[in-house]
This record gives sequence, C-alpha cells and structure tokens, in this order.
Amino acid sequence: MRSKAPRFQRLIRLSTVIALAAGAAACGGDNDSGSEPRRVTVYTGRHYGIEPVFEAFTEATGIEVRFTAGSDPELRERLVAEADNTPADLVMTADAANIELAAAAGLLAPVDSETLTTAIPEELRSTKSEWFALSRRMRVIMYSTERVTEPPTTYAALGDEKWSDKLCLRPSTHPYTQSLVAGLIINRGADEALTIVESWVKNKPLYINSDSDILKAIAAGDCDVAIANTYYLARLKTEDANLPVALSWPDQDSSGAHLNVSTAGITASAPNPSEALELLEWLATDGQKLFSDANFEYPAALDVAPAEALVALGDFTADTAAVRELGRLNPDAVELLSRAGYE
Amino acid sequence: MVSAAKTRLGTTWGWLALGIVSFLVASPVVVIVTSILNPTTTMWAELWETRLPGMIIDTTTLLVTVVTGTLLLGTALAWLVTAYAFPGRRLIAWMFVAPLAIPGYVAGFVWLDTLSGPLGARGVRSIWLCAATLTLTLYPYVYLFARAAFRSQGSDMHDAARMLGVGPVRTFFRVALPSARPALAAGATLVMMEVLTDVGTVRLFNVSTVADGVLRVWYATGSRDSAAELATTLVAAAILLIGLERLLRGSARFGRRASSRPLSAIALGPVGRTVAVSASVTVLVIAVGLPLTRLIIWAREAADTGATQTVAGGLWHHTSGTLVVAFFAAVTCIGLGTLLALLARRRGTIGRFVGRVAALGYAMPGPVVAVGAVITLAALDRSGVVSSGFVFVGSLAGLVFALTVRFLAVALHGVESGLERVPSSTIASARMLGARPVRVAWSVEIPAARASIVAAGALLLIDLMKELPITLLLRPFGFDTLAVWVWQATSESLWAQAALPSLTIVVVGMCAIGALLTALDRGAEVAS
Repeated sequence: MRSKAPRFQRLIRLSTVIALAAGAAACGGDNDSGSEPRRVTVYTGRHYGIEPVFEAFTEATGIEVRFTAGSDPELRERLVAEADNTPADLVMTADAANIELAAAAGLLAPVDSETLTTAIPEELRSTKSEWFALSRRMRVIMYSTERVTEPPTTYAALGDEKWSDKLCLRPSTHPYTQSLVAGLIINRGADEALTIVESWVKNKPLYINSDSDILKAIAAGDCDVAIANTYYLARLKTEDANLPVALSWPDQDSSGAHLNVSTAGITASAPNPSEALELLEWLATDGQKLFSDANFEYPAALDVAPAEALVALGDFTADTAAVRELGRLNPDAVELLSRAGYE
Repeated sequence: MVSAAKTRLGTTWGWLALGIVSFLVASPVVVIVTSILNPTTTMWAELWETRLPGMIIDTTTLLVTVVTGTLLLGTALAWLVTAYAFPGRRLIAWMFVAPLAIPGYVAGFVWLDTLSGPLGARGVRSIWLCAATLTLTLYPYVYLFARAAFRSQGSDMHDAARMLGVGPVRTFFRVALPSARPALAAGATLVMMEVLTDVGTVRLFNVSTVADGVLRVWYATGSRDSAAELATTLVAAAILLIGLERLLRGSARFGRRASSRPLSAIALGPVGRTVAVSASVTVLVIAVGLPLTRLIIWAREAADTGATQTVAGGLWHHTSGTLVVAFFAAVTCIGLGTLLALLARRRGTIGRFVGRVAALGYAMPGPVVAVGAVITLAALDRSGVVSSGFVFVGSLAGLVFALTVRFLAVALHGVESGLERVPSSTIASARMLGARPVRVAWSVEIPAARASIVAAGALLLIDLMKELPITLLLRPFGFDTLAVWVWQATSESLWAQAALPSLTIVVVGMCAIGALLTALDRGAEVAS
C-alpha cells in the first residue's frame, strides 16, 4: 500500500506536466509563421472527389488549400458560432438553400468579379453575388427496369396509390428533400405542394438517408420508384452497367426537372479574401471540368461539356428559374414536410 | 488566533473554488434551461401539431424497452457469473463488459446491414431493432452494478436462505434481487441517460426521438433558441428519472463490501455447465463476436479498394485526434472532479448540492451541451475577457470545455465513491498530526481513492472516444477524430469505409475496459 501511493501521485504529476506542455504547444504552435505560403481555408459540404480538384488548383497557382468537411447545416451553424473569428475563407455547399440562408444571415460577402459573372449564368448565382453555382445536380425519378414498365413522369405521380409500399424517399432532414419541396412550392403553390407531399406520405414510403442506398434498394426489390440525384445513378452504372435501375426526367411538360446546385461563396470575415476569390474564379473556369466530372455532375458554366456518362442519360429540361428561390423558401418547405407527416 | 484566521481564509478560498468551477461547468446547462423562460410559442404550437407526439411516443417506447431489456440481460448475466461456477467463468465475466466499447451507432449500422438481407430494407428500420441494438450495447452498465451488488452481499444471507430450505432460484428472487435493487436502479439510470441522449443510433433506424428532434429543429430552422427549448424537456425528463432512482434507492446504500465471506458460487453439474457456457457464448457472439467479424471483413474490403483514409487524413490523423481530445478531457474531468469531490465533501449538504449542479451536463444529450457551450463560449469571446486574438469557439480548449460539461459527472461520482471509503477518523488523525487540508487530500484521500479514480478515468475514456455530436460541432479546424470519420462514412451509408475507424474505437475502448476491470477488482466501486 505504502509504496504504491507515491507512484500514483507521480502518475498524476506526470499527466499534469504532459497536459500543460501539450497545451502550451497547441496554443503556440500556430503562430510560428515566418514567410508563410499563400493559402486559403475552405469549409466544404461536398465530401467526394474534392481533393484532386484542390491539388490541381495548388499546382496551377501555388496557393495551398486547407479544408474541413461537414454537412451543409453543420457548417452553417459553425460559421454563425465563429462569427468574425472564422478561419474559413470559402464556403462550399452541396445545395442552394444552405448557402442562401448563410448569405441571408450576413455570413457571406458580395463578390465583384467579371470572370464569375461571365462564366456562371445569372440564374445560377445569387442576386447580390454572394454565392455562385459551380455544378448542376438533377434530382429525378428513378425506377426499376425489371418491375416498372410505365415510369412516372411527374413528381406528383409518385403519389398515385399504385406506388403504395413501393416508394423510396430521402428523409426530410436532408437538404435535398427540403429543396425539392421548396421547388414544388415555387412551381405549384403551397397548397398543391402540400397535397403532393401528403400523397407521397400516404404511400408509406421507405425513408433511406442515402441516395446510393435508395438505388440499391430499387435493385434489391425493396421499392420500385424513388427520387434521387442523377450522379448516384451515373456512379453506380459505371461500377455495374447492368444495374436494373433507370431514370425518368420529371415535369418535362411543365416547370422542368428539379435543379439544385453545388455552390461556393466567400465569407464576410475571410482572412484571405483575395486567395479565396482566386480559387472561386478558378473553380468557375479552368477547374470547371475537373470539378464537375469528379462527381458526375453537370457543369454550371454552359460552355463546359458534361461527362460522357451524363450524355448517356439523355437531354432534359431543368427548372433553372427556381434555384435562387430555394433558400428563401426553405423554412416553408421544412414546415410543409412536418405538416404532411413526412419522416 | 492565527491558525483560526488561516482556516477561515482557507474556507473562503475553498468555497470560491467550488463556486467558480461549478459556475463555469454549469453555465451551458443554465443557458439552455433558462431559454424556456422566453418560449417561442409558434415553434411549440407547430411541433405539437406535427412531430412532437411521435417523438414522445418513440422516446418513451425506446426508454421502456431498452431499460427492461438491459435490466433482464444485465441482471441475469451478473447472477450467472456470481452464483454459479462453470468453466471459463472468469474470462466470460470479463467479456460481458466488452460491448461497452462498441458505440451504439457502430453496432447499429452493423445490424442494419446484416439484417437488411433477411428482413428487407423496410423491415430492418424499426424501433424494435433499434431497442435491441441499444440493449446489446448498454446492458454492461446494469451488469457491472448488479455484479458488484451480488458480490458484496456476502454468503451469510444466502446461506441462511439455503438453510431454511429455499432453492437457488427462490433465493435469487427473495434475497439477492431485493437487496440489489438500489444498484440495479443506478445501472438502469445510466442506461436511461444514454438512451435519452442518443442521436447516432436512432437516426440509423429512422426512430425520431426528442434528442433527434433537437438536432432536426436546430438544423432545419437555424434557430439555436428553439433547439435549446426543446432540449429543456430532456433535462426535465432526466431530473425526473434521477429523482425516481433516488426514490427507489431510498435510504439503502449500495456497493458496500460486506465483512463476511464473499458469496460462494455453486458448482454446476454437466447439464448446468453446458447451459451456462452455451448461453454465455451466445450472448457474446451476438453482442461482440458478430459485430467485430463484420467490421473486420469490411475493413479488409476497404483496404483492398484503398479507402483507408478520409479527405482529412489517414488512420493516425484521426486516432491521434481522438487520443489528444480524450486525454485532455479525461485529465480535466478527473482534475475538476477530484477538486469538487474534495471540496464538496468538506462542505456538507450545500457543497454536495453545488457539486450536483456542476454534474447536470451528464443528463443532457451531446448536441444540447454543444449548443449551450457554443452560446457560452461565443459570449466569452465577445466579452473580450481573453484578449490577444484567442478565440474559444472552434479551439481545442473550447472542445475540452464542452466535453467536461458533458462528462464531469462520471469523474465526480467515481471520485466521491472512492473518498467515501476514507474514514473520517483517519482524516481527523492526519489533521491532529498537523497536516493542512491540502496535504491531507494529497497524501491521504487521493491515494486511498486511486482505484476509483482509475476506474472513472477508464469509463471517461470509453465515453469520450464514442462521443460524437460535441466533437463534430466544436472541433478545431482540421481536427478530426475516429468518431467523426465513422459519422462521415455512415452518413453516406459507406459502411466499409466506416469499419476501420470503428474497429480502432472498439480496440482502444477494450484496453480502457481492461483498466476499468482491473481497477474494479482492486476495490473501486462503480460510479453511480
């Protein structure tokens, strides 16, 4: 007993010393910057294929990219909490709503750049130029080629009772679902949008929080029809060309298929605003092809050709007009989804 | 005269330290609780009409099912390894604690994927499977308490029952179970806290609890205040449950080591032995073996496709992040917990009450603590108390602070239970020999409580490694942990990519469990 007590006390002393030393090192570590390289810090809601894009940028410009990934709303909340003290220069999101909400909260600075306004069509950037679309992502109807002969051609048709117990949807916690419903509100009005969403809910949909799992569920026979983004199909088709899933472009005779965009904007308190602008302009021009192809998305710049796998999916009409409004209507969409009993 | 003045000064300093530490640690909780004083009526009206009833039903169903399940499983297993002797009993008794190292959200995705074959994607997303998963990962809490209680009962009581002609089964129900009731209540309370505060597991199974709703409201509306208000209902529920436990426990003390011989195990016959061993193995295969096997297969799959790192870095980047944050938070919790326990012990009921307030964070879900901590830290940053450009929000210090708020209770209760075993006469003797209170604490009380401190440290490490929401929201820029990696992969349903970090969490957790069990064998009591 007696001999053990001092040993335990030594252990306590030791861990205190380690803690203090490491704490001091952690606090002081960041400050030893002599002639620092130019760099830019990015918060990104996109996880996939982003690394080679940043590497190519560094190679082209010599500017180093540091980035952290998270979900769109998490990153937005982080920016709100950090306020003036944020280390982030550029924010990239996977949908249009969260970036618009961030802009509305004053977290983004308007950008005055002719390069950007020339490259990106007007409907695909915010009115005050706080954010710019970098790629277009289509959210469409997916169906089983084995069990479905006449695929639905409108989002509303998914509420038909013949799809009862055969519909797969993404939960309402996900921005994609929220933006899709915001699009319905814009095109059909709140009442009709509610009726449509309620008709989906009446079909007892299976909620799966992953688009690729939704497509796999169709292949496995868990559902016959679903809503998902096109690039997941393109991605899975390159892995398995015989996947018994195909897409149907919805609302082609009316507003067009739901278009969402991945975006980027410069933070209001960016420590490196000029590097951030350089990255943003590069992504909208020289980096467009690489950025879009990395994830099988359609480029935002109209003069850049989409990837081969996308050309195979065919031509379509997209609902370009609604993109800028998705953020403003996000709270309405969230409320509507709750009201309709959407999981 | 001089010494009296000094003592009074010491008392003042002690109260001051107690007050300051408690205030700091409790402030995020207080921020949350006071938000209810100015309620957002529209949010409540809308929630009540839409999701709130469902959330309450799901939360209640889950609580009742998991508590019942863990009580049955934990108590039965504890009784099996204490009352009966069979081959491999010691090893099995240790292994029964192992599921503690498997985070619920990891067991969740393993079962979700494994059972989606036979049950279908629809059948597998059910509240009952969610409850089963949580039961399998949380029963060790009940098991640890029940085992300690059964062991400490001593054999005299059981011998008396046997001499009166009562069979082993009736002895269990008439003697062992009633006197273990306080311990079971304590274990069940821990399970309830875990269920109430879980956000990772429930979402996998499409179960929408109140804790999940807090995140939903926060992210969907961007309104921290609304989220905080909803979270207050969880705090109320937790306080209610703790009160209920105190009521059940009554005046009974538990975990007392009886002075008599420990309970002697009955040697089982061949049939009994077979039943005991096969039952134990079945439980272990389902709770530990199967998840680990799946994880290993997935990890190898990921290794084959080269998916063994994230955009942020490889295994070491994430493991070092986990270890760094777990180390700092554990040291802080143990340090503050010991300080509070020592100070509160000398200050009677009021001191204890202040200590309890500081430990309230344990009753709150991680995301809620994160909200409270962000509000507190942001206020601190704005106030300019700390100048020279240091910012708490998004710093390692801020993260450690939030984790301390959440887990201080584990350290505090652990150290307290250790200190209780130092007789006040020993302290009085030390004082009479001229030792100052600080010296008494350092040379007498802390060494005596060391096994409990180590046990609390091990429990803390396990909790901290599994912790997700606070780390996710408050981690410094470019700082990633294993749990963050698991979250990023599972949120895209990339199970194979989540396997390697999950396995690492489990392995390190098992090491911590080894330390915990060793400390327990050396006489630490399980913290309540």
